[in-house]
Amino acid sequence: MTIKKMADSGLMIMVIYLIIFAIYAAVQPSALSAYSIQGLFNNSLPLMLAAAGATFVILQGGFDLSVAGTISLVNSIVAVLQFDGAIGAVGILGIALTVGILVGAINGFVVAYLKIQAIAATLATMIICQGIALLILRAPGGYVSDFMAYELTGSVLEVPVSIIVAFLVAMLWFVFRRTNAGRNLLAIGQDAKASELSGIDVARTKFFSFIWAGAFYALAAYFLAAQTSTGSPSAGEPFLLLTFAAVALGGTAFGGGRGGVTASLLGAATLVLMQKFLFSIGVSSFYTGMVQGLIMILAVLFSGAVQFVVDKRNIT
Amino acid sequence: MNPFYSVTDKQDTRQAQRLNSTTIAVLTIYGLVVLMIFGSRLVSPSLGGISQLMNVLYLSSFLVICAFGQGLVILVRGLDLSVASMITLGGVLSTTFMQGTNEGLYFIIPGILLISALVGVISGLGVTHLSIPPFIMTMAMGLIVYSVCLGFTEGTPRGFPAPMLNAFMQNKVLGVALPILLMLVFILIFTILQSYSAFGRKLNAVGNNPDAANIAGIAVKRMTISAYAISAACSALAGVLLAAYANGATLRMGDDYLLPSIAAVVVGGSSILGGRGSFLGTVGGALLLTTLSSMLSALGVGQGWKTILEGIVILVALIMLREQIFTGLQSMLKKPN
Repeated sequence: MTIKKMADSGLMIMVIYLIIFAIYAAVQPSALSAYSIQGLFNNSLPLMLAAAGATFVILQGGFDLSVAGTISLVNSIVAVLQFDGAIGAVGILGIALTVGILVGAINGFVVAYLKIQAIAATLATMIICQGIALLILRAPGGYVSDFMAYELTGSVLEVPVSIIVAFLVAMLWFVFRRTNAGRNLLAIGQDAKASELSGIDVARTKFFSFIWAGAFYALAAYFLAAQTSTGSPSAGEPFLLLTFAAVALGGTAFGGGRGGVTASLLGAATLVLMQKFLFSIGVSSFYTGMVQGLIMILAVLFSGAVQFVVDKRNIT
Repeated sequence: MNPFYSVTDKQDTRQAQRLNSTTIAVLTIYGLVVLMIFGSRLVSPSLGGISQLMNVLYLSSFLVICAFGQGLVILVRGLDLSVASMITLGGVLSTTFMQGTNEGLYFIIPGILLISALVGVISGLGVTHLSIPPFIMTMAMGLIVYSVCLGFTEGTPRGFPAPMLNAFMQNKVLGVALPILLMLVFILIFTILQSYSAFGRKLNAVGNNPDAANIAGIAVKRMTISAYAISAACSALAGVLLAAYANGATLRMGDDYLLPSIAAVVVGGSSILGGRGSFLGTVGGALLLTTLSSMLSALGVGQGWKTILEGIVILVALIMLREQIFTGLQSMLKKPN
């Protein structure tokens, strides 16, 4: 296996995750109990899903700030819908996904067809979504059904639901990147002009990358509501920077063309694990941001170094 | 015809077009601001007066200052996401060092600007020498600076700004608040700096085409680093002023300025891709956003609708300011000839 493949498959970040987890478990033996593993994954899942969504846009060379707005909006909607039971949860999921996809479609239309710079356009949609979230839910609170709060954060046959969801997303990506749509996405990120010339519908591919992103942000907001069993019109704000940190940690190249959703999932999980680990070894919570910042820079440098080595090998 | 002449000709017209489109954009924005301020009188008689105008100018001075730095960074194809943390740093440092006395004010403020410029230099070095994507680098620096502020103050910033600064924020000369005058001086100096000085032209060249700028003998990396340093110092200055305005620093005092600083720059007609932008446009963008938000607050519009309208204004401005529209307009105007 070449270095490049290792970096792309997210193997590297998985190794980092396991190392940190091993140290964490050594420091805090209770970390290995089923209960705390379930808790850890429940805490990680929203960020993992958000990072997975952002990866779709970043892979095609774009940028999506609307993650914060979409999560706030969907989180608020989930918290005002009072549907109970399993069927209610499915219904809410459907509504959440519809809203997420709708926001994604607007982003995609503005960026891909009106040709507005992605950062600027998604900044605007993010602000609009935050406003709508405030109209729907004025203050943190709302209602989350017992089914969502307990079953979705629980386990099925001893396996935490959050791990199952993360695994399904990884599987989805495994299949998707082998389809034409997945290949187009990576091709555009590598060289949009060449992709256009070879007959790829660049605008369409970009459009759908935002739709995937919107759907995943909605999922993140849905599981965030289940995990916190409440809603908040500003639920998405902490996600804005952490999502990109997670994607960077996973080794996906900003500017597009290299990386993957699975790596971002693991990157997000690593960020959350890191927080727990730093807390457990007694680093004052004041300074966790500092460590996160340093890790982000190191992760990007590391991923750049891998790319450098790969490029050098390709040339010689 | 000598082919070299045709090349120069082509470049000349392009330059003219670009100037034109920027001028139109800037004029449109100022027109909108004036329209909104005086048009608001129709909605509510208490609005639209000189006092409201002064209020808007006063409130936008903070945003104008940090948007200038953001504009420079965007001009050189970057993005500064550390604005919020640098404002907090400026505020926290000023209240901590001043401790409510005027003692040492004259070296504390330059000292704060120097410290923050050094933080900007680190961001710039990361971007230029380590090729870290600008927003990752500045976001990480922002996280680090914020967490240092948090740890240093243990969660609650103490101390007060110097009384002289408080007085500066409150006093008026000929009926105009001093911060507004400071902002006007700031705008004058920095418009010259960005658009008419050798430094500004070099920054524009770097943003337009770093490779070409490099060949032309511009120290591209140094210019880029200086943009980040200036941006960090501007944000810290805004933080010092904000702390004096609010008579104290809070850790979240910068949060309301990060996204508006980007929005002011793009609404002001600068390209987020770099290489094109004018500070006057950014000032217009900042004024527009502040006018809109203070007008909507005065009308008693809820936070939700206010936020939505702000987002829509940014989106509409972006769609209107697309370069294609200007070239389209120009070709329409040219056709009759």
